[in-house]
Amino acid sequence: MSADALATGGRATRAGRGRRTGKRAFPGQRLLGLAGILGFLATWELIPRLGLVDAKYLPPASEVVMALVRDLGLTAFWVSVGETMKAWFLGLVLAIVLAVVLGFVIGSSTFLRRATNSTVEFLRPIPSVALIPLAVLLFGVKLESSLMLITYAAFWQVLIQVLYGVADVDMVANNTAKTYGLGPLARIRYVVFPTALPYLMTGVRLAATVALVLAITAELVIGSPGLGREIALAQSGGAISGMYALVLATGLIGVVINALMRLIEKKTLSWHSSVRSEVIV
Amino acid sequence: MKALKTLGYVLALPVLLVLLWWASTLGAVNFFVPTPAALVQKFAQTWFGPRFFSDVLPSIGRLLVGVVAAIAIGVVGGVVIGSVRWLRALLEPTLEFFRAIPPPVLVPVLMLLMGITDAMKIAVIISGCVWPVLLNTIEGVRAVDGVLSDSAHTYGISGWARVRYLVLPSASPQILAGVRQSLSLGLILMVISEMFASSSGLGFTIVQFQRSFAIPEMWSGIVVLGLLGVTMSFIFQWAERNILRWYHGQKEVENAA
Amino acid sequence: MLRRTFSLLAAASVLALTACGSGSPSSTGGTAQGGAAGGGDLTKVSVGVIPIVDCAPVYLGNKMGFFKDEGLQLDIQTATGGAAIVPGVVSGSFDFAFSNLISVMVARDKGLDLKFVANGASTTGEKGKDVGGVVVPAGSPIKSAKDLAGKTVSVNNLSNIGDTSIKSAIEKDGGDPSSVKFVEVAFPDAPAAIANKQVDAAWILEPFMSKALADGGSVVSWNFVDVSPKLDIAGYFTKADTIKNKPELTQKFTRAMNKSLEYAQAHPQEVRDIVGTYTKIDEAARSKMTLTHWTVNFDKDAFKTLGDAAAKYGTLSKAPNAGDLLP
Repeated sequence: MSADALATGGRATRAGRGRRTGKRAFPGQRLLGLAGILGFLATWELIPRLGLVDAKYLPPASEVVMALVRDLGLTAFWVSVGETMKAWFLGLVLAIVLAVVLGFVIGSSTFLRRATNSTVEFLRPIPSVALIPLAVLLFGVKLESSLMLITYAAFWQVLIQVLYGVADVDMVANNTAKTYGLGPLARIRYVVFPTALPYLMTGVRLAATVALVLAITAELVIGSPGLGREIALAQSGGAISGMYALVLATGLIGVVINALMRLIEKKTLSWHSSVRSEVIV
Repeated sequence: MKALKTLGYVLALPVLLVLLWWASTLGAVNFFVPTPAALVQKFAQTWFGPRFFSDVLPSIGRLLVGVVAAIAIGVVGGVVIGSVRWLRALLEPTLEFFRAIPPPVLVPVLMLLMGITDAMKIAVIISGCVWPVLLNTIEGVRAVDGVLSDSAHTYGISGWARVRYLVLPSASPQILAGVRQSLSLGLILMVISEMFASSSGLGFTIVQFQRSFAIPEMWSGIVVLGLLGVTMSFIFQWAERNILRWYHGQKEVENAA
Repeated sequence: MLRRTFSLLAAASVLALTACGSGSPSSTGGTAQGGAAGGGDLTKVSVGVIPIVDCAPVYLGNKMGFFKDEGLQLDIQTATGGAAIVPGVVSGSFDFAFSNLISVMVARDKGLDLKFVANGASTTGEKGKDVGGVVVPAGSPIKSAKDLAGKTVSVNNLSNIGDTSIKSAIEKDGGDPSSVKFVEVAFPDAPAAIANKQVDAAWILEPFMSKALADGGSVVSWNFVDVSPKLDIAGYFTKADTIKNKPELTQKFTRAMNKSLEYAQAHPQEVRDIVGTYTKIDEAARSKMTLTHWTVNFDKDAFKTLGDAAAKYGTLSKAPNAGDLLP
């Protein structure tokens, strides 16, 4: 058993140990976050203006923000966002479904887990970018080739988490269920799945970020439709402010997705985590 | 006997997959998917030679430097940010924002700031690898057990001693989970960092093979990446088992109960 | 409550979308031209292109209806480079695609049976006014091609037409091409790279070459012209199988393509305008940049020079056969 077991959700099963972090906002927390963002923007504004970097190659924040605001009023921008989101969503869902099924099957048997360990560890770090020729060969410059890369990368994130989740099942609970005559399917539903759920949600959250990064990268390198392609287009056309505006948009989408994922995680696990106070270290 | 059994587990499935692959490439000749025999041949040809020293080792070196730096920055930064509440509130949205930016997009910016040097490539690796460690450390630090924290406070343990004896060990399972993720990320970023503005390196070589349609060589490069990943993972698992001995023992006891 | 909020949100976003302006993000105007209304008799043909100036004839020819006249419904798909385009052709995702000569030569060298059906881009042949050249920053001691020996030069892709033509130019000028260190820097990043002295010289194509020159840089070698004033840079290619099994389609495409090339060469202003619709190059850069030269016939001598150079410098294992590759 390894660190991930505790780290990512098993802690939640320890009632009363206060390890699953609750979050109690203190007054001014939002303001501080905003201040941080403004501080970053201010630095960005100053660097080209002070001449540390040529403004031609790194335009000041104000220019980029204006370009972004202009983009927000263009249909084509939102269409690209839609394409990226479509690829992201489909790839993520596919990855989750595959990982959950495979994870449950492999995780519930020690033999399978040990037998597949080396293969998983071998395939996991292979960068999806290396699969690009294969993806293009099979699907051309279309959504499907993005999907292949996204699913491949996101799958591993979720799979590892599910494997740990399934392995973390409390022996006592499982044995009790067996004693009461619950068949394997019922046991999966009432014992294994709830235990694995926190891990799964963490995996989904991580995979969501990875899926976004891969979606943009795939569109950037292959040219399948979406924001990444627009970024490549802006770059190859010399529209530097426009390119950074799109990069900004990507970052913002990432923040939104992360917030959304945390919300989903909290909702699905609301039964699981008790109210914990934040420990001031 | 045990060693043989372990070896059996490690090799069984891969061997099965290779056999499947060999069988499926027997008939048709697909340009983009080579036969196992061709791949093995090209593998030896390509990698056991001067290329190993001129491309592979420097890349691995950059990867290690980048990952170690990312871990150091992540842990230090994470402890600081995780401990100081207002700092975390200040930085969290900005950090989340940066995390979502895909590395290939950052490369032109880094190239502007750092030029076409090894430092730039290491910066690309750090820029991606630091996030799992940083964010996991922050989470781990925040979640220090209340009882332990108060006990330490009662005993007057504060400052550096507190970090060393309470915060770090308590957060270490979480931190190591982050390190594990960042290891596999590191390999991906190493390839990406060498895709642009590069003239040597493992990732660079693979991409060049891809571009010049030297497909068996490209796949052999991917195999090298996979082998690197497996090696790093096994080393990590061994290190983790030692560092978290106390934790594993604790869990074993709890599970056996 | 939730449902009501959701439907309100949906309605609001639909309204907002219709209120949005047309035009693509980060471009300075010009809307993308819709494709010709599909007739029932048209054969669908997919073409893989790269969104650069060189591919303007395809867009222009499509707009002028040349392809429709031949009974072809063109589906233009953009890819970012040869790495994505060649597999696309091999797998059949693209019927035809645009690529530079060396990429296809390399593919053929490795065993892929590809062949050009039409010319795609050529050098203007004029030193001082070509689409690309080796640029050095202001104040550089490098004055001509042979001074590049021992220096660091950036090209967009290694083992491709950039470094092959530069090496050839250096050798012609009397320098030693094997002492040059080539690194890969994409064209958009190249002007910054030379301004910041990260490389000694950079091979840059339009529209970035004009930018680098506006920064004070100067061209030390017009490498395309140095190889041959009639050098063909790129073309439209397909699988040899397609040519054999679909001869009529190939001929139709070739005819329409040739017509488009001639039209583009004769109407530079229309080219500049249409480039604005499929790239993000702004108005100012578009009006200043040197346009590619488009011609119908491949120059066999220039091809041979290029092919021999590529074989000599190790990009190819042997010199290519014009009969295999050219129409």
